[in-house]
Amino acid sequence: MSTDVQIAIVGSAGDGTIAAGDILRRAMAEIGYRVISFDLYPAEIRGFGKCIARLRVTDEQAYSLKQQSDILVSLDDSHAIPHVGEAREWGAVIYETHSVNPLPEGAHLSGHIDPGQVPYNVPIRELAEKSTGSARSRNIVIVGYIIGLMRLPVEPVLRALVGKFKGKGDIAQKNEAALRAGYEEGLRWFRLDDIEFGPPPAQEKGAHVEMISGNAAIVRGALDAGIDNFFGYPITPATSIMERLASEMPRHGARLVQTEDEIAAISATLGAGYAGARAATATSGPGLSLMAEMLGFGVIAEVPSVVFVSQRGGPSTGMPTKHEQSDLNMAVFGGHGDAPRIVIAPTSVEGCYRCAGRAFEMAEAYQTPVIVLLDLYLSNRYETVPFPDRPPFDADTNRYADTRGGAAGFQRYALTVDGVSPRSIPGQAGGMHVATGLEHNELGRPNDQPDMHLAQSRKRHEKLKAALSHPGFEPAKRFGDTGQVEVGLVAWGSSFGECLEAMYLAQEEGIRCAAVKVVMVSPFPVDFVATFLADCKEVLVPEVNYQGQFAGILQMQVPRAVTRMTRIPCAPLRVEEILDEIRRLAGRIVEPQAA
Amino acid sequence: MGEIRPVYLEDKLKEVEDSGRLDYRSKALPTWCPGCGYFSIVEAVATALCELGIPNEDAVMVSGIGCSSRFPFFINSYGIHTLHGRALPSALGVKTANPALTVVAVGGDGDGFAIGGGHVPHAARRNLDITYLLFDNGIYGLTKGQTSPTSAVGFKTPTSPYANPDRPLNPLLMLLSHGASWVGQSYAGDPEHLRSMIRQAMEHRGFSYLHILSPCVTFDKTHRTYVNLGMQVHALPATHDPTDKLAAMGEAMKNEQAPAVGLYYREQRPTLDDALDALVEKAGGEKRGLRGGRGRKLR
Repeated sequence: MSTDVQIAIVGSAGDGTIAAGDILRRAMAEIGYRVISFDLYPAEIRGFGKCIARLRVTDEQAYSLKQQSDILVSLDDSHAIPHVGEAREWGAVIYETHSVNPLPEGAHLSGHIDPGQVPYNVPIRELAEKSTGSARSRNIVIVGYIIGLMRLPVEPVLRALVGKFKGKGDIAQKNEAALRAGYEEGLRWFRLDDIEFGPPPAQEKGAHVEMISGNAAIVRGALDAGIDNFFGYPITPATSIMERLASEMPRHGARLVQTEDEIAAISATLGAGYAGARAATATSGPGLSLMAEMLGFGVIAEVPSVVFVSQRGGPSTGMPTKHEQSDLNMAVFGGHGDAPRIVIAPTSVEGCYRCAGRAFEMAEAYQTPVIVLLDLYLSNRYETVPFPDRPPFDADTNRYADTRGGAAGFQRYALTVDGVSPRSIPGQAGGMHVATGLEHNELGRPNDQPDMHLAQSRKRHEKLKAALSHPGFEPAKRFGDTGQVEVGLVAWGSSFGECLEAMYLAQEEGIRCAAVKVVMVSPFPVDFVATFLADCKEVLVPEVNYQGQFAGILQMQVPRAVTRMTRIPCAPLRVEEILDEIRRLAGRIVEPQAA
Repeated sequence: MGEIRPVYLEDKLKEVEDSGRLDYRSKALPTWCPGCGYFSIVEAVATALCELGIPNEDAVMVSGIGCSSRFPFFINSYGIHTLHGRALPSALGVKTANPALTVVAVGGDGDGFAIGGGHVPHAARRNLDITYLLFDNGIYGLTKGQTSPTSAVGFKTPTSPYANPDRPLNPLLMLLSHGASWVGQSYAGDPEHLRSMIRQAMEHRGFSYLHILSPCVTFDKTHRTYVNLGMQVHALPATHDPTDKLAAMGEAMKNEQAPAVGLYYREQRPTLDDALDALVEKAGGEKRGLRGGRGRKLR
């Protein structure tokens, strides 16, 4: 018996919707399941905006949420009514028996439930008030109810509760009472046979599984790679990277400074990189715009540095709390001059961890800025990640120059076969040189002769090719059917999860289908992708931006016709929409969807 | 001045060679115009580094863009010649990564107070333990003579052909209010004073700001010339107390009439390094330098 259950909780800001989802996903991880979870909340801090917590519980790590939920909970009917259809046939719809105010006709959720869905009306408020004397614990009651209804063990939930409300007085006790009240109530009702929780999967050896967000995984990767210095300026949705590092880095003896702006952040990051530190900054699109000029300095002066970028809706201030993948062009091409850099875009939370750590290795090994490109969806979504007991990252990937003997004129920018020049670090005798943003000769002295400009430009471009075979790193990976396929998907970043889900569904429908995730967008894994495209009758490139930025880069590198699927829904792609595109390209009949 | 003594070339050369300060001059010859005040700054910095016994490899010159920012190429130390306006935040990175280094940021009036103006208050208030040498010639020399944030009202340049309408900034007053823990002024036309002030600035633990007045002999024939500066520049009153911040601000205000050189203000307070180390201690971490002894690897 395998487990694949998705739960959605819909409420209004202040209902504790997100908190309930958080306790549930922590509890599920505690039990031993794999979880992926993504919340939706309004931009405003206070108010009555719609909140949705969604979590998918599985045996093997899922890369995306499902289109339909198995259990839908309403903590606020006015917000939940438009989402009733999200509960699948024979799925459960759980809602409040008594509303606070008398509702006009049609405003109660019970009137919107489909005959195929299974309704559970629960006196949530009553249970909360009885157990804790306050209606505020409705969200905890409903967590207990779901656990009881699904006949899951209640102890892991208690542990998750204690963890969440540690040190907050008697809140933990009250919550335990609310949880037990909900749990007992859930046990009283018939179990839904159609929704199954199988035994949790066995733990992997040599690793410990943790529930963690994309941004938290970035932090973990940076720490495991031995980050020395971080300089940053708060910006949604990257802020939590800096916040976590601010609390973690001093514990490791490392240093973080909040700078006056993003320009200072990248300048200081490069200054620290020049001085031999593993240094990083984190920002979003607007901050990356400000950093563009200094990143070019990092390229020409060949300074190791890491920039974590979490994209949001743009241009300009755009939509700071909405998901979009529209900063790819800037990450790859942004700035003036021929300024090649490494850009890697993880596709999962685990990928965030690996990319963060490898980024520091690559920055040092190829002496260049490395951009790790996330997006709001990936930054904020939670997944269970098996962290290796021993960090897999190399603590020092520098190629050092031997400057003993102090020969006059150390050639910091010596022209070498692979383009990487052995470096010296301030404090190292005999290695004195100036790192400059001017075009320079091997010594680092200003030089604007055509031969030297060509030689140094070639060096800066060619040296990056080695990154495609960086140890322990897969720049691209293929999934699904092998050999010739009817439809091949090429995806990047967080969108890959939805693409993979759609690909599996298409395979179930008998469509020969495969998908490639491209993690390293610059330099582009041309050979790998070209080989894959040769296997595909049709190619689909889904992404969350208007222009099809990734498809553009793909076609620039491997010229051929592809179908661009560009959507800007201010949210992740919909699996169903991708599936429809696959069906259409495979020549299957597609029912037109209702608008 | 008193008695004038003859200086013989052989004696001077021997004195220079014996001093060891040539070890701090790089093989690259300065690219400045003959007569530029910046030559004396290179000499003064090399002398100060030599006198303080700082190993060449432990010093880092950090600059932005401009005539003054070519400076790192002329000193035999590590150097980083960054972007226009970005000397201070780059220096922040260098010093934070390795506090054992002696970091000197250099730049001009445009680099520091126009494009890079946003960084100055923060380096000062953090008490970043570096020396910031600001070469103020009141003009954009590298782009051939346009108006800068310290140009006089009425100054005629290619970008202000009728007259500069903007009043100049008062950098000393700004730095005092930003919280710089050492603020001084010197004049490129007085190499002895300059050398002494640079040495004091580098000896100070914390953010030391030295404002260096210098003429642009090529593009300014009317305002900040050696002749004019020579007449205007005078010493701070002997009675000035450099630990009195209000008095320092009062003296800085008087600069708007005629510039006085000397030490305006100094205080001892924890540096950014101290503060960051305190955070590590508070978090229960262990203070560390660069991992794996980087920068000392092959010594």
